[in-house]
Amino acid sequence: MDGSYITLEIKALIGMEGEPQTSCEPVERSEVRRFAQAVMDDDPIFWNDADAKNTRYGAVVAPPLFPLFAHRRPPGSPDPLATAATDPDFDGFVGLLTTGLPPVPLPMLPRLLNGGNEVEFYQLPKLGERITARAKYLDIYEKTGRSGTMVFIVVETRYTNQHNELLMISRLTLIRR
Amino acid sequence: MPAEAQKQLFYEDVEIGQEITPLMKGPMTTLHLMRWSAAIENWHRIHYDRPYAVEHDKLPNVIVAGSWKQQALVQMLKEWCGAGGWLWKIHYQFRAMDPVGATLTCWGQITDKYVRDGLGFVECDIGMRNQDDQETTPGTAVAVLPLRGGRPVPYPFVAPQK
Repeated sequence: MDGSYITLEIKALIGMEGEPQTSCEPVERSEVRRFAQAVMDDDPIFWNDADAKNTRYGAVVAPPLFPLFAHRRPPGSPDPLATAATDPDFDGFVGLLTTGLPPVPLPMLPRLLNGGNEVEFYQLPKLGERITARAKYLDIYEKTGRSGTMVFIVVETRYTNQHNELLMISRLTLIRR
Repeated sequence: MPAEAQKQLFYEDVEIGQEITPLMKGPMTTLHLMRWSAAIENWHRIHYDRPYAVEHDKLPNVIVAGSWKQQALVQMLKEWCGAGGWLWKIHYQFRAMDPVGATLTCWGQITDKYVRDGLGFVECDIGMRNQDDQETTPGTAVAVLPLRGGRPVPYPFVAPQK
């Protein structure tokens, strides 16, 4: 290996906090339905108003990990496919655009994998709530194995509703290789 | 909720070594993968674009999204905790890939239990095995169960005092 991928520029990102990102739309019934159907979880708390009313939630809620996916592309914002779709190296992954953090410059490691997550749950989002994410780079490090060097990017995100109540904390590990 | 109250699992009902009720999903076809990508509006190609997955990313095929697999682990624990319990913490690593076609079984086993602030905390090892019995998503979790005759698990959940 010719030196570390963890440049001073990348080291400077560790600990950096992104601008808070608020979802462009409130949590919607149809979005929650499609999410729960894709997971194949028919729990009535995700769709049945009468059942949900009699639970601790008091109303229909989104699945626990929903906040990870609450930040969709706002209407009127630039279409990432407009320029990238014909790029043979574009991986299609647009999730990190919602952290408010600058990308980690690793042009030599074009492949991205989800390494795993560590999540704490406090509250499930209700329909109509607006979710805000506050992300920071908790750590960026590299490991060398049989298949070469991989860089691990740990992003800690605190998700709150519009009342600033904590919904969940996520510590996501992204792998660039 | 009398029916739910009867079914509720209590701290006293569980022992170290006991298994969490498993949850099976699959086989996971390209239709399932596409449905998930569409539901979360994430267009990462390795989950639906086979030439990209195989030729660019050197994967065996399109693969089941980790973002989807974690949902099944959470669902298993949520169902096991019941309406009066709470899944507080979950940690998992996507160690091995599951190519399309995988049948996945979520499992869990209790490794520790203790009472704090009048609530029952249950730690467990968790994971996901594919049809070849390969562990692809190992992890741990902390679930909170009420004590029999004890106070309800607070909602929103409040972390115990150290």
